[in-house]
Amino acid sequence: MGKQVTEMLKGTLEGIVLAILYGRPAYGYEITAWLRDQGFSDIAEGTIYALLIRVEQRGLVDVEKVPSDKGPPRKMYSLNAQGREYLEEFWRNWSFLTERLEQLREGGK
Amino acid sequence: MDTGSNEPKSRYRQYLEVVTGPLEDKKRWRQYKARIRNLPENYRMAVEALERYLMHFGPGDGADAASMYEDLADLFEQSAADGTPIREIFGEDPVEFVEAFVQNYSVGRYINRERNRLTSAIARAAGEDTGKEVRTV
Repeated sequence: MGKQVTEMLKGTLEGIVLAILYGRPAYGYEITAWLRDQGFSDIAEGTIYALLIRVEQRGLVDVEKVPSDKGPPRKMYSLNAQGREYLEEFWRNWSFLTERLEQLREGGK
Repeated sequence: MDTGSNEPKSRYRQYLEVVTGPLEDKKRWRQYKARIRNLPENYRMAVEALERYLMHFGPGDGADAASMYEDLADLFEQSAADGTPIREIFGEDPVEFVEAFVQNYSVGRYINRERNRLTSAIARAAGEDTGKEVRTV
């Protein structure tokens, strides 16, 4: 994964993670694994962990602690009403951004 | 995790804590240290390196700093249990991870306070009447 896409990803990672949680609740490591499968191979587990703590503090996700066979209890994250609202806003901004960029690209031809 | 009892503190205890800081925080710190000692060698090395870095942010709010170290212990215990390689936890740039992490706690937000202070100082210097004082605390 190139440096440019890593930089681009930084601003959108929060929206991506919330979008993953829109489908179904997930553990942190499942989210990292999914992103890696999708080709975002440079994603650090720690970065996702820090991001999940942040969205939890901001009340965008609900957390359930589930006991684990190995290691400490795992946090299961699910998107709540506030999170869904935030995600809708993210998609609106995303549409705005991609439309403008597409216009720019067409104009450059 | 249970963060201590809600029983009212004795007068002596209250006085003592003015001098020492809350004893619950100290207990949580000792528990964190014990958890770190039980990690496999390379995970422990990584946490201790993070700890050293985080100390530069200052002591922060006691209970909040204790939560920060507990979250760190959670991450590394989980990673050790899953056998997640150190490099997969940190990615290419360990600083990026730790900066994102520390922003979630009062020690990390100290820098935001300084940024707000700078922003309002520049607004004043630029002769802009912002109409309101940017809160710095």
